[in-house]
Parts: sequence; C-alpha cells; structure tokens
Amino acid sequence: MNSDLAVEAVGLERSFVTHTGVLRRSRKEVEAVKGVSFHLERGELFGLLGPNGAGKTTTIKMLITLLLPTAGTARVLGYDVVDDVREVRRRIGYVFGGDRGLYERLSARDNLRYFSELYGVDPRRQKARIEELVELVGLTGREHERVEGFSRGMRQRLHIARGLLHDPDVLFLDEPSIGIDPVGARELRATIGSLVDVGKTVLLTTHYMFEADELCDRIAVIRSGEIVAEGTPQDLKRLVTAGRVLEIETYGVAPDAVAAATGVPGVQGVVVEERGQQQVLIVQFEAGAEVTQTVLASLGDVHVGRVSAREPTLEDAYIQLVTQDVPG
Amino acid sequence: MRQLLHQQWVCYRLQLRVLSTSLFDGLLAVFFPLMFATAALLVYRLNGDEESLQYAGLGAAIMGMWTCQGVIASSLLTRERWAGTLELLVAAPTSLTRVLVPITMALSTIGLYCVVATILWERWVFDLRLEVASWPLFVVGVLMAALSLALFGFFLSVTAVRYRTSWALGAALEYPGWLLCGFLIPVSSLPVWIQPLSWAIPTTWAMAGIREAANGGSPWVDLAVCAAVGCVYAALAAYLGQRLVDSARKHATLALT
Amino acid sequence: MTSVRIFFIGGLMSYRAMFNWLSPWILIPSLVVSPICQILLFAYIGRSAGVGNDEFYVIGNALNYAAIPCLFAMGATIGGEREGHTLGIVLATPARRIPLFLGRALPVIANGWGVAMVGVLAGVLLLDVHIPGSAWPAILLAVVVASASCTGLGLAMGAVALRVRESAVLGNVVFCLLLVFCGVNVALDDLPAWMAAVGTWLPLTHGIEAARLLADGSGLGAVDGLLLREIGVGLIYTVVGLALLRFFEDESRRSASLDRN
Repeated sequence: MNSDLAVEAVGLERSFVTHTGVLRRSRKEVEAVKGVSFHLERGELFGLLGPNGAGKTTTIKMLITLLLPTAGTARVLGYDVVDDVREVRRRIGYVFGGDRGLYERLSARDNLRYFSELYGVDPRRQKARIEELVELVGLTGREHERVEGFSRGMRQRLHIARGLLHDPDVLFLDEPSIGIDPVGARELRATIGSLVDVGKTVLLTTHYMFEADELCDRIAVIRSGEIVAEGTPQDLKRLVTAGRVLEIETYGVAPDAVAAATGVPGVQGVVVEERGQQQVLIVQFEAGAEVTQTVLASLGDVHVGRVSAREPTLEDAYIQLVTQDVPG
Repeated sequence: MRQLLHQQWVCYRLQLRVLSTSLFDGLLAVFFPLMFATAALLVYRLNGDEESLQYAGLGAAIMGMWTCQGVIASSLLTRERWAGTLELLVAAPTSLTRVLVPITMALSTIGLYCVVATILWERWVFDLRLEVASWPLFVVGVLMAALSLALFGFFLSVTAVRYRTSWALGAALEYPGWLLCGFLIPVSSLPVWIQPLSWAIPTTWAMAGIREAANGGSPWVDLAVCAAVGCVYAALAAYLGQRLVDSARKHATLALT
Repeated sequence: MTSVRIFFIGGLMSYRAMFNWLSPWILIPSLVVSPICQILLFAYIGRSAGVGNDEFYVIGNALNYAAIPCLFAMGATIGGEREGHTLGIVLATPARRIPLFLGRALPVIANGWGVAMVGVLAGVLLLDVHIPGSAWPAILLAVVVASASCTGLGLAMGAVALRVRESAVLGNVVFCLLLVFCGVNVALDDLPAWMAAVGTWLPLTHGIEAARLLADGSGLGAVDGLLLREIGVGLIYTVVGLALLRFFEDESRRSASLDRN
C-alpha cells in the first residue's frame, strides 16, 4: 500500500445482521457495502455520491474506525483503520449532518472546549484555537449562547469547527448540508472549499449534485454498496454525453408512452421526473441525432408543455448511474 | 499527568454544567428521594423512639445519592446516544473510561448536594438534628460513598447501554437500591439469601462506615472494603467499556436510536 | 350514538396510539417490578420501625402505585397531543369534548386497577398478608373506585400539562404528594393535622382506607361512605380538568397558545 495517499480503501465490505420478531427471531444479513475501493490523494476534495441507503455512511464509518469492515482493508494516512485506531483517530475529523451530536445545554464555546479536551488539544493553545475556529465558521458573537437556540445552519458550522479542533489532516464530512437553507448551504460550501486551501484532505458525501460539482476534485458514485463510476465531475458528465439531453414537460404521461419514446432510434435513455403536476421526460440521445420530432410523435396524444434541449449536467449523469439496471 | 488532570477537571465542570441546567434531572433527582425519605421518617416518627429516628434520618440523608448517581448513571450512555454525541465520544482518541469518569463525578456532585439538602430538610421539617460523633469522619464517609457510587455508576452505564430502554431500567433500580443498601432498613433484617447482594454494592459498605462514624466507632474498615468493591466495579467497567466499543465496531450498535 | 362510539372506541384508539411504543422492556420494570419494590420497601421500613403490619403497607403502596398509570398515562394522552402536534387536529373535529376526553380515561382506569391488583397479589404472596376470600370482590371494587378517582386527577394534570409542558416532572411531583399526604404509609389520624386535612381532598385517601377496612373483614356497607367520598373527590378533579380543557381551548382560539412550542 502507498502511505503517501491520504485515504486508501481496498475491497471494503460490510454486512449487517438484523433480527426481527420477539419470539420467533428471524436472522437476516444485509450487505451494506460490497467491495468498495478508492483512494484520496493528499489535499484532495473527494465526493462520495449516492442515494439514501447506498452505503455512504457505512463506508465513512469504517474509515473513521467506528465500524470494522467484514472484509477488505483501509488505511488513513498510512495507518490501518482496524489496528491503528488511536493513530487514525488523532489525525482525522468527523462531521455528520443533521442537528444532533451537540450538547444542547452547553454554549457553542463549551461544546468546543469539551471536545478539545477529548482530542487532547494543548490547554495553552485551546483558547486561541477555539476563537480561530469560531471565526472561521462565522459564529463570532454567538459562541456564548447555548446550542439549543441555534439554527440548523449554525449547528452544522459548529459541527465543522468541532471536527477541526485538533487540526486533523483528513476531514470526513457526511452529508453536512442536509436540511440547510440555500443561503446557509452556500456559506457552508465556502467553508468547505476553504479547508482545501489550507491543505486539508476532505472526503464529502452528499446527494446534492451542484454541491459535488462545485466542490469536488473527484467523485465516486456509490449505489447499492458498489462504486459504479469514478472520476472528475467532467469525466462523469462525459459518461452520459456521448450525447445531449431533451427535456419534455408532459401532463399525465403513461408508462407505455415512455416505453415508446425509449424505443426511438438514437435515444439512449428516458427518465421521468415528477415536478408537481407535471412529469418531465429527460431524454438522453446521441449527439447529432435529430430525435425531437420522433420522440414527440411517439408520445401520441399526451398533453405536452415546454420542450427544450440542453447539455447534460452532472445530475443527468448521476441519475443515469443510480437508476440504470444493475448488470447481472 | 498534568494534562490528564486538566482534561478530567474541564470535562467534569462542563458535564456538571450540562446536568445542573436540566430541570428534570436537577429538581427531580433531589425531590423524589426527599419525598420518600419524608414518608419513611413519618413512619419512624410514630414509634416515638429517638434512636430509631436517628437511624432513619442518617440513612435518609444518604439515600438520595443512590438516585442521583446510580439511577441516572444507568441511562447516561443512552442519553448520549439520543443526543447523537455517543459516536463522537467514541471516535475521539481518548479512551471511554476517561470520558465517563468525569461524567459520573459530576453526578456525584449532585448526589452530595442531595445529602446536604436532606440534612437541612430533616432539621427544618422534622426538627431532627443528626447526632454525629465525628463530623470529619462522617464527611469522609459521605465522600467515599460519592466516589464509590461514581465508580458503580460507571459500571451501570456501560452495562445498561446495551439495553435500549435503559431509562426504564434506571427507574426500576431506584427502589431495589433503597431496599438493599441499609439506608432505612438494616441489612440484617432482609432475607438471608438477599444479603450477599447488599454487600456486593459498595454503597452498603459506605453506609455502614457512615453509621460507625456517627456512633463514634471507626469507619475505616468499612470504608476500605467500600473502596475495594468500588475499584472492582471500576475495573470491570473499564473492561466492559472496551468490549462495548469493540463490539459496537463489529455490530454497528453505537448509533442506534 | 356518536358520542358513545367516541367514548369507547376513540378512547381506546388514542390510548393505543400513545402507548404502542411501550415495550415489555419498559412495562415490566415500571409497572410490575417497581410497585412490588415500593411495597417491600415500606413493609420492611414498617417492620424495622415496629409500626403497622404488612397488610397496611401492601394496600397503601399498591394503591399509591396505581397513580403512576393514572397520572402519567392520562397526562400523556392529553399532554402528549401537544408534543405530537395532533392537538389542533383533534380540537378541529366536531366531536363532543366530554366523551372525547373521558373515553380516554377508561383504558387508563383499567391500567391503574391492574397495577394496584398486581401489587396486592404480590404482597399476599411475598409478605405476611392474609385477606379472606370473601373480601376480594369488594376490594376489587374499591380499587376500581380509587383508580377512577385518581384518573380524574390525571385528567386535571393533563390539562395543566398542556400549558406547563413539563408533564413528566409534574406527574412525579403529584405522585410524591400522594405518597406523603394520602395515608399511604401512615394512617391519616397519625399524620399532622394539616397534612391529614390536605389528604382528605386528594384522591386515593378514602379508597385506601376503605380497602384496608375491607381486607380486615368489614362488609361493603361499612365503607360505602368512604367510597362515595372517594368518587366525589375524583369527580371534583374531573370537572376541574374538563373546565380547564374548555378554558384552554377557548383561549387558544383567541391567542393560539396551544399550538406554540
């Protein structure tokens, strides 16, 4: 293994055993992560993208030593996540989304003090470090208030400050922007972006495409516990783009009409997206093919609204990757 | 070493702040045992014997500690889990023991407060002045009770976290502790087969030592046994705590809500 | 007819909605183990103080513990509506309020009765208590009356909990007051006069006294006055509770005080 890498995962697997029923307990084994391999260079911002339940959080928990892999190995800064637990924990920060994980009845500053003790931050440095971080995440002036009065965005930024207390080299951010309003999310993205500028390595999971597109150097798309694509945002867009995208707004389109549209020569795939009362057909087609008229004709007497053609986005790539049938 | 002490001290102070700002724990942990002490004293008052009233008054003063520490400690890790902080505590490079000891010490402080509150209550409401032969030895005994209960609470907290509804378990521990530890009922009056259970709880020894101190005897033997029993639980808890974390890594049980 | 259905079916459904999450892991420690331990605690205190006999403490504490479901479950069926944000929806229905809320009391009374009877039975099995077979039917009745009356207090408490929100703290405080004031462990005559005076205005007091007399062999005729007074006290709290609910509902329509968090 290469210890120059910040994070290296090789064939990581994790299964869970669940029991249901009180008297007649039935045992069920679920494979949450099925052999995931990837690596992060130092100073890189890497995105792990996938729908809910794809195995993102499980993967992160194995990397931060909270879960043991059932198979495979992983190293963080050259330290094994199974054996060198304390070495790994000293060098990483972990931040998860949502509003839990803080002591509600303590002030923001006291929360940070508590965790700096647990991370063994030098007592003489603590005060300055906390001030610095409060400043970095934009909570200056509010740090003496109890967390129970904080908004979600403020909590999330406090979480990030907490994750940075011991100046970790690698930071794991698990869906940090979940449930935050657009303005808060933009500020959060700015904060995350600035982490890389100061030399941190960041592994970010999210299901917001534009966030990944804007922030990440490289992205891996994970689906049902497997990585289905990996590369720069540009690489991933190119996966779909052997062509272009046609968006057709319809009202009450039937499945057989969609099937008919899919059968049109030159069409690579059709995805239906519900938007209020409309169904928007997102039709991917080969560049150069002229499919607009044929596709519209194939829809029959379905009521059609606006029709537009555009370049594919990362979201198109993502939707295609996570919805297409699993081979085998 | 200095850094360890600093860490434990800061964690203790912050955890005490968490505990003392909660109306539910703060008020109720003191009020509930105080009312039971009142009910017991009302019973003891009826027989008109000053000596047995002293006996009950002394026990009633200490019994609140059991609630504040043992009972609340058993749900301690579960509450961290609800708050979502348990994972963060485990993910820190500090061992779980070092995280938990300051928390149980903070609970002890509430327990000590409860002792003082009960002594004052007995004085004002029942006009009962505790006759203590040696107040310094009494204080040593109370501090030992607090310390050993903190260690016992540490043991309860790591044991009970596996039990999802440990808050209900905690409440169910309240009465057995009051029954077993010799607060209001002499251990010798319990059925013989139950008595070993009493002596397995460090608090029973602490209570015996406190009674010795109050009666002018020497509490040291009882307190030494109390300390020894407390240490056994602490060692057991440290081991179980490590097992808990290891098993949680294997079975993914930390973040259960 | 609608009101009858609301009373029985609505009451049971709302009870189940609130307590579905209660598993045996919670119910057994809190409604079986704890009452038995409380009974043992005071029976042994009585023994070592040389005051009273086991039967006295068994009946007092078993009935006292009925207050746990009566206060907490009744408080939660009403106060919990606020936490679940369902209160507004319930109040928006045209259902008549009295059967709506009283219907919720019925399963609670059954629950309280069950807890008290488990306590009495455990006392008979574990301690030195002998209750003549012929006394049991009347005791069952006395326990029903006491549970019902205590549920009236629970209704009033639930109404107050809509406003103060700390309903768990409130329930514990009320439970402790009943323990001290209702002659649970010390007969009313032996309490200081002012405490006995408070006790006569609380539920359970007369029910406990009646159950003790019955267990000692008195006939129903000897305790009917006590049971009537028990019912009367319960009714007062029920009326107060319903009036408070009505008052809060009216006030809420003016100032939205129930919807706020």
